Amino acid sequence: MTDKFCMVVSEGTFDKAMMPLIMGTTAAAMGSEVHVFYTFFGTKLVTAKGSKPKLPGMYRLFTGMFVKKMKAVGIGSYAEMMQQAKEMGINFYACSTTMGLMGIKESDLLPGVKVLGAAAFLKIASEAKTTLFIG
Amino acid sequence: MCPMPIVHLAKKVKEMKSGQVLELLADDVGAKEDVPAWCSRTGNQLVGTEEEDKLLKFYIRIK
Repeated sequence: MTDKFCMVVSEGTFDKAMMPLIMGTTAAAMGSEVHVFYTFFGTKLVTAKGSKPKLPGMYRLFTGMFVKKMKAVGIGSYAEMMQQAKEMGINFYACSTTMGLMGIKESDLLPGVKVLGAAAFLKIASEAKTTLFIG
Repeated sequence: MCPMPIVHLAKKVKEMKSGQVLELLADDVGAKEDVPAWCSRTGNQLVGTEEEDKLLKFYIRIK
């Protein structure tokens, strides 16, 4: 039986954006079914507008340098990793409550991202062997 | 670098036939633990490893 691996992402900075994609693609490569739930500031990561995240605080100025360094070691940009994750069948969810709070519409979401409530996500997470909180 | 060896490995393995042996070259030190972990998780057999300078070589028989 396929294991389920879940993550909750609550921040929208570059580091919090990349980690679930790196962990998620690894888990998918290990044969797990991966589910990522984006809530609070994380939700903007799965919108078309927020798909160019920056490092937190003052470090935001070094985001470009960071992206280049990651590229040099074979890790793609956020958009490329997102594409990779999609191709590997990773499931992405946007928190319905956050969408209401932040005025994010379903049409603002990246293609393939589903709107989900906390209860529905927790049902999925209850069936998972591992759930990580990225925040 | 982590996690790309594993991601590339999983992709490549899908194109291969059962019984074939895949040679994986990695320059990520993490691969030393990651590749055996991937093999045991996915049921593919790690038949050999070699280390040359900083290059790691893995031989994996596809299940």
